[in-house]
Amino acid sequence: MTLSFDHEWRLDELLDGASQEKIGPALGELLGGDFSITDDAGRTLWGQPVPEARREPLILELEPVGYLLSRTASAAALIAARNLMHVLLRAEIRFKMASTLHLESVAEDFESLKREHARLIESEARYKTLSAELEARVKKQVGDLEERKQMLYEAEKLASVGQLAAGMAHEINNPLGFVRSNLSTFEKYLGKFAELKSHPGSLAESWQRLDLDFILEDSVDLLHDSAKGMERIARIVADLKAFSNVDRASEEYTDLNHCLREAVSMVEAQMPPGVHFRFDLLPLPSIVCLPGHINQLFFNVIRNAVLAIADSGRPGEVKISSEADEAGIHIRIHDSGVGMTAEQIEHAFEPFYTTRPVGSGVGLGLATARNVVQAHSGRISLDSQPDVGTTVSLFFPTPP
Amino acid sequence: MPESDAQHLTFKLVYYGPAQSGKTTNLLRLHDLLAPELKGEVMTMETKDDRTLFFDLLPLGFRAPSGLLIKFRLFTVPGQVAHDGTRKAVLSRADGVVFVADADRAQETNNGESFQSLADNCARVGLDFEHLAMVVQFNKCDLPGAVPETEIRERWSAAPWPLVFAIALNGQGVETTFELLIRTVYRNFCQKLKLQSAHGLSEDAFVAGALGKNA
Repeated sequence: MTLSFDHEWRLDELLDGASQEKIGPALGELLGGDFSITDDAGRTLWGQPVPEARREPLILELEPVGYLLSRTASAAALIAARNLMHVLLRAEIRFKMASTLHLESVAEDFESLKREHARLIESEARYKTLSAELEARVKKQVGDLEERKQMLYEAEKLASVGQLAAGMAHEINNPLGFVRSNLSTFEKYLGKFAELKSHPGSLAESWQRLDLDFILEDSVDLLHDSAKGMERIARIVADLKAFSNVDRASEEYTDLNHCLREAVSMVEAQMPPGVHFRFDLLPLPSIVCLPGHINQLFFNVIRNAVLAIADSGRPGEVKISSEADEAGIHIRIHDSGVGMTAEQIEHAFEPFYTTRPVGSGVGLGLATARNVVQAHSGRISLDSQPDVGTTVSLFFPTPP
Repeated sequence: MPESDAQHLTFKLVYYGPAQSGKTTNLLRLHDLLAPELKGEVMTMETKDDRTLFFDLLPLGFRAPSGLLIKFRLFTVPGQVAHDGTRKAVLSRADGVVFVADADRAQETNNGESFQSLADNCARVGLDFEHLAMVVQFNKCDLPGAVPETEIRERWSAAPWPLVFAIALNGQGVETTFELLIRTVYRNFCQKLKLQSAHGLSEDAFVAGALGKNA
C-alpha cells in the first residue's frame, strides 16, 4: 500500500538522496564549510552534526520535520539557509502531495470505470441470456403453431375425406338399394315363370292365370331401372377417379378450343330445350396437358351452365370465349341462368356440395374441375349474381 | 478515526461543496481569524483562474493539559464536477465535514447535486454519513439573489445538521461554522479518545484551544 497524499510527510521522503547530493555541498559552501541536516527524530540525513553546532528547525506545517545544523555559519546565515530550505521543501511537498493525490484519484477513477465495466459486462450477459431465452421461446412457439397448423390441416383433410366418403356412400347406396330390391322382385318373377311348367291347363290359360303379361313387362322395367342404377354408380366412380387423378392419361400437345368443342358436343347430346351456344374462340397456342381431364373439366362446367339455364325456366345462352395473351390462355364460360348466392359461391368448389336434389347431382363437378385446373398450374374463379347469371373464368399459363 | 500516536492526535476536517461556493475563502479567513497555539500557512493549489485543482490545506494545533498535541488539518475539495476522483481521495479518512452551499437561488441545483455526491462519496470511502460530524453553511447570504434564511431553515428543518448563514468574504459566520463543527467532532470522539478522562480536555477547552481564545 502506497502512502496516502495527506499523511504527514517525513523529511527523508521530501529530500531523497539525489536532492541531498545537490543541496548539501551547495549549502555547505554558503555556510562556511560545516553543514548537516537531521530529521525530527535526530537521524542524520546529510553531513556530520556536532553537538556544539547552531540549529534551526524546518517547519512545514506545525511542528519541525527536521533541523539544519552548522558550526561555521552565523545565526543570520543559518536562518537565511533555513528560509531557502523552506521554499525548496514547500515546493517539494506541494508537488508530492499533488502527484500522490493525482495517482489516488486516477486509481479511484479507474476503479469506478472498472466497476462500471463489470456492471456493463454483467448486464450484457444478462441481455444475452434473455435474448437466447426469447429466441428459444419464439422457436418453440413457432414450432407449436406449425404443429397445430399441421394438425388442423390433417383434421380438415380427414373431415373432407369423411365428407367425400359420406357423399359417396349416399350416392352409391341409393341406386344400390333399388337395384337390390329390383333383383329380388325379379327373382320372384322368375319363380312365376317356373310355375308355368307345372301348371295344369293350356299354356295360354296358365299365362293368363299367372298374369305373366304384367310380370314380363315389369321385369323389363326392373332390369332397365337396375341398368340405369348401375350406370349411375359407374358414373360416380368415373367422376371420383378423375377427381382423384387415379387414371393418369399421358400428356399431349392440345388445342383447348378443340377440347371445348368436344365437351360441348357431349353436353348437346342431352340438351334441354331453350338453350343456345355462342362461341367466341380466338386462335390459341397448343399447351401440354391431359386432354381427358381437360375434357372432363369443360364438360362439368358447361353442363353446369346448361343446367343453370334449365333451372331458370326461361330460354338462355351459354357463351364460351377464349383468347391468349403473353401469360397464358383465358377461357370464359358464361350463362344467363339462375346464378348463385354468395354462400353458394363460397362452397361451390367443395366436394359433394350441391344444390340439386339427391340423385340428380353428386357435387363433384366443380371440385373435380378445380383439381384439374390446379394440376395444370392454372386458376379457376367464379363470378355470379342470382337471377342474372354466372361466369366461370379459367386461366392456363403458357410456358414462356 | 483521527490519526494518533502517544504525542499527537490529528483531526482531518474537509470543506465540501459545489464549485465556487467559497470553500477556499473559508480557509483563508479562518487563517486570519483564529489564533491557536500553532498555526501553519494555508497551502493552496490553485490553477491560474483561482479554481482549486487538488486541495487547499490549513494546519492548526494546540497542546492539551496532558501534553498531547492536538492538530487540525483543514482541507478543501475541488468543487468542479470533473474532479470527482480527487474529491473522493480528499474526503477519505475525514473526521468532520463542512458543506459549503451557495445561497444564490440560481445555484440550488448545483448545491443539490454536490450534496448528493457528498453522500455517495462518503459511502464509497467508507464514512458513515448518518453519524459524520457535519455543519451546513449557506455562504454569500448578502447576494441580492440569495434564498432568504427563513425559506432555507424551513427546507432543512428535518435535517440533523446545524445551519450557518455566512458571508465568507468578510469572515461573517466562518468562525461559527468551524466552532460548531469541532464541537460535534469533540462529542463524537470524546469517549473513544479519552479527551476528558486522560487528557483533561472539556468541550469548551477543546474549542477554545482550537480557536485560540480563552474559554
